[in-house]
Amino acid sequence: MNITRQILDAFIDDHLNEQETIKVEKALRESPELQAQLTDIIKSRDMGDHSIGAIWRREHLSCPSREELLSYQDEALDLDRLDYIKFHLETVGCRACKANLSDLKNANPLPEDPALRKKHQQFLENSKILLPKKN
Amino acid sequence: MVSLDERLLVKKIQEGDQQAWNELVLRYEGRLTNYAQGKIKDHSTCQDLVQESFLGFLSKITNFDASRSIQSYLFGILSNKIADFLRSLGKSKIVENPVDSSGNHKGNPFIDPAMGASTWYRGDEKKKLENDALTKCLVLLINDFIKKKDYLKLKTIELLFVNGLSNKEAATILGINNKVVASHRFFATNFIIENLKKLNLSHEVFPEFYEQDTET
Ligand SMILES: [Zn+2]
Repeated sequence: MNITRQILDAFIDDHLNEQETIKVEKALRESPELQAQLTDIIKSRDMGDHSIGAIWRREHLSCPSREELLSYQDEALDLDRLDYIKFHLETVGCRACKANLSDLKNANPLPEDPALRKKHQQFLENSKILLPKKN
Repeated sequence: MVSLDERLLVKKIQEGDQQAWNELVLRYEGRLTNYAQGKIKDHSTCQDLVQESFLGFLSKITNFDASRSIQSYLFGILSNKIADFLRSLGKSKIVENPVDSSGNHKGNPFIDPAMGASTWYRGDEKKKLENDALTKCLVLLINDFIKKKDYLKLKTIELLFVNGLSNKEAATILGINNKVVASHRFFATNFIIENLKKLNLSHEVFPEFYEQDTET
């Protein structure tokens, strides 16, 4: 596997499958040049990267909407679209869509664990001091 | 496209409406938590990271550009929080102690809470214009594929641009000829360049278009 700039981008964004990730990690350990390249990319991102892959991933440009994911779950879409969404989830490996899909399967929006639910309430209570002041 | 409903929610929070804030947290908490749980087993830690992401969003809410997707923004912050957390456990893949151009160690490679967050907030108008222009062209391209039901092209381009695969690797996954992949790449690149031209933007800023893929 030739480690290109695009692959490093996908690596940083967690957009590679496990096998590819392992390959990149190994290559990084062995090559100081590649490490330097990775550092450069991260630096350029801090400055607001606008490469195609970065924008596509960051803005989730090809991600189906939540409504579409619901229909996907019920197989209530045409075959081409179903096939594409499956590809987007499984082959591209979009973690945002996977997370949305598992969330949709869960009817209750609040955490089930009482301790986590309490933390959720506390968070809402404590975070309100950060809200802008009403005029 | 960001829905009116989302824009309204941001506007209300910007005006200090607590109910709108609660609504936003409730709406996005589940998907963000699921995202974190894909990487981190401990649920309480996941919740901490999700809550920190919400705080990151709220602390900058007055400058948030309501035309941006809240979901994409929150996923961006969270994914950096997760990377930081994993790095602190020594599990992360990001190189340890990266150094900057002057040789100083950078404690945290992700200075900004969201990758490329500067494109959301900072006053670098040129960058923002370029970013917006390219986003526009990509949306046009993707919608064009979807409208024509040309999913093979969309899949090919996604593997090339999003996953960073070579023509050959994409061809193997899709079970098609390298030359077909190369022609899809050519189509997409041309489409983007043509649309960028219409927006009167220099394409020097997007050198990747001119990188030749040798594996045809
Ligand atoms: Zn997606």
